[in-house]
Amino acid sequence: MIVVESLVKSYNQTRVLHGVDHAQSRGETVVLIGPSGCGKSTFLRCLNQLEVADAGRITIGGITVEGGRPPGTKEERELQRRLRMCAGMVFQSFNLFPHLTVVQNIALAPAQVKGVSPRDSEALARELLAKVGLEDKAAAYPGQLSGGQQQRVAIARALAMKPEVMLFDEPTSALDPELRDEVLRVLRRLTEEGMTMIVVTHEMQFARDMADRVVFFDSGRVAEAGPPEQIFEHPQLERTREFLSKVAKR
Amino acid sequence: MLAGVTGVAGQTRAADTLDAIQQRGELRWGADAEGGAPYVYPDPDKPERMVGFECELADALAAKLGVKARLVQNQWDQLVPALQRGNFDFILNGLELTPENRQRIGMSRPYFVYAQQIVTRREAVSFARLDDLKGKPVGVLASSVAQRITEKAGGLDLRIYPGNVESLRDLKARRLDAVVLDLPIALHYAKPDPTLTLSGPPFAPGFYGIGVRPEDKALLAALDKAIEELVQDRTVERICRKYGVWDATQDRLREYRPDAVAASQRISTLREWPKYLPLLLRGAITTVELSVLAMALAVVTGLVLVLMRVLGFGPLRWLARGYVEVIRGTPLLIQLFLIYYGLPEVGIRLNAFAAAVLGLGLNYAASEAENYRAGIESIPRGQMEASLALGLSRWQALRHVVLPQALRLVIPPVTNDFIAMFKDSSIVSVITMVELTKVYGMLAMSTYDYIGLGLMTAAIYFALSYPASLFAHWLERRLRHDRR
Ligand SMILES: Nc1ncnc2c1ncn2[C@@H]1O[C@H](COP(=O)(O)OP(=O)(O)OP(=O)(O)O)[C@@H](O)[C@H]1O
Ligand SMILES: [Mg+2]
Repeated sequence: MIVVESLVKSYNQTRVLHGVDHAQSRGETVVLIGPSGCGKSTFLRCLNQLEVADAGRITIGGITVEGGRPPGTKEERELQRRLRMCAGMVFQSFNLFPHLTVVQNIALAPAQVKGVSPRDSEALARELLAKVGLEDKAAAYPGQLSGGQQQRVAIARALAMKPEVMLFDEPTSALDPELRDEVLRVLRRLTEEGMTMIVVTHEMQFARDMADRVVFFDSGRVAEAGPPEQIFEHPQLERTREFLSKVAKR
Repeated sequence: MLAGVTGVAGQTRAADTLDAIQQRGELRWGADAEGGAPYVYPDPDKPERMVGFECELADALAAKLGVKARLVQNQWDQLVPALQRGNFDFILNGLELTPENRQRIGMSRPYFVYAQQIVTRREAVSFARLDDLKGKPVGVLASSVAQRITEKAGGLDLRIYPGNVESLRDLKARRLDAVVLDLPIALHYAKPDPTLTLSGPPFAPGFYGIGVRPEDKALLAALDKAIEELVQDRTVERICRKYGVWDATQDRLREYRPDAVAASQRISTLREWPKYLPLLLRGAITTVELSVLAMALAVVTGLVLVLMRVLGFGPLRWLARGYVEVIRGTPLLIQLFLIYYGLPEVGIRLNAFAAAVLGLGLNYAASEAENYRAGIESIPRGQMEASLALGLSRWQALRHVVLPQALRLVIPPVTNDFIAMFKDSSIVSVITMVELTKVYGMLAMSTYDYIGLGLMTAAIYFALSYPASLFAHWLERRLRHDRR
């Protein structure tokens, strides 16, 4: 489903990703952990082309994009767009569109990108709202919702494009602890339904319970990867152990 | 009464300006050297030096008073108010000895006999008399005898110009069929031009005199005496001949007898508002039409510019940026002149209204583009990223996500620009548009009621801009449903 080969990315002169390889099969949930600044966000942003990698190759759902330079031709831009449609992204800061209602937020992309009729896209939006437990907020504006509710709408918005893969970049970090569970519940449900997901998070309990595989990122490389029991109970590397004990103390 | 009013505005003056002139050893005379040949104009060979028959006459008068003469440059149609403010001692610049002028200010005995002349393009049918010009576009100098005579004749499509050079240029550019102007100017500018011709005989002769403040009785007497001597000893004739403006009619100077001057009467335009307000309102309609059309052009062009900058690549982006910088870095006045007088040289001939809309609109477009850009840049990056991540194109993201949010932010600065435009639009009078401020200026010139007309004009401007401001507030509030 996802194949990443030797992904390299630098900002200015500093190299952030040092040739990352990653492969993930359909329905697998991967939790990405690692210290701050190690390149987790950059990795996700490269996957859905918000950043163009300097080198390497990304394949998602059969669509392959090579790193190197921003898309120049029309075909390259079209390819980039198709890859993005395959990979839904949920941001730490929600990034809902404040001038649109909840339903409009969700229905916008299907209507504009896929040309779904207004009636169908709205029906789809309401269906997804029900799924994240917010059917009664359809007509509200994002500014009228709590953080947890906003993040659930953001998930519904990404799901509306029917992506093959969902990428979550610290979806609960901006939330008060008591609001995190309602978002994590939605993530659990998606995992159970067989969605292919990469979740960057510091929620270790979620990782233990739901991850098929945990990947420990350090200094722009995959340092260690394996099933949660192995990473949490028997980490191979000293750095991993250190990181886990730090997170546990928090 | 008048003395008190002018004394407040001007610098402190001695009891009579004549004393002041003698004390400082210098007389200051007001004139307009812009397009002022053969009266007063910069010497083509040595532009820092002023020449002209009035220039030499001023020197001759100063010699008679035992002082030096110094020219104070002032826009021609504002000479009388500037005199009353005390900017200079007297006006010596083709000021006609009309009953109106004699009521407002003190007028000396004449130093020159002028007449009116019709000028046309050489290849055109000749118009020998004003009656031949009915329905034709005809240019005259603002507040001149020509304007008064042509207005009285009626039926002409009159265009009012700030200077004669501009009207003659528009005649050549075929915006006008004829220009009516003082004979000396026609002789100086139009006669040597092979494409123009003096059409029909001179008509409506009259006198030029020197204008002084009404209370300067001693100065007036001294000037009268000096002029009389200069006429008698043929100094005036010698000077006029030098500039090619002497003709047989000048003999009338010697036979001049001053008529009794009618007593001055003050007009209160406020009391007579039913007469003046409609005239001002007609000017206001032009101001509104102009501002609304120019703003529409600015808002749309500004959007195109900002999209070129945000979505475009290399050259397009560079072009949009260059446009904004050049327009913002050059005066609107020059831009208007280039559009109105410059474009005809390359074959694009716009009427004054179109040129005004284009000039104001393209100028404000630069400022609107900057407003939009500031608005777009203040929308968090996450909005664009979330849109792109959903598969929207950059254009779709701008159109559906960024611009609608930026719209609310740019309403206040755009409204401010619109209100500023109402007021800025008065500058287009330089390309012969008669809008509210110009109507005010013309009425004030003829009634001298600057205060009454000023209050009415200001009230009209306010009545126009305040609703625009209220509308903007309402719109801004209506679009603010995303408050947190
Ligand atoms: N736009 C950018 N320009 C320059 N440097 C950047 C940019 N974005 C990220 N970086 C740098 O790249 C490195 C990796 O950043 P990234 O956001 O991917 O880390 P992260 O693992 O997500 O960290 P965190 O846990 O704090 O979110 C950091 O050192 C960061 O300073
Ligand atoms: Mg991050």
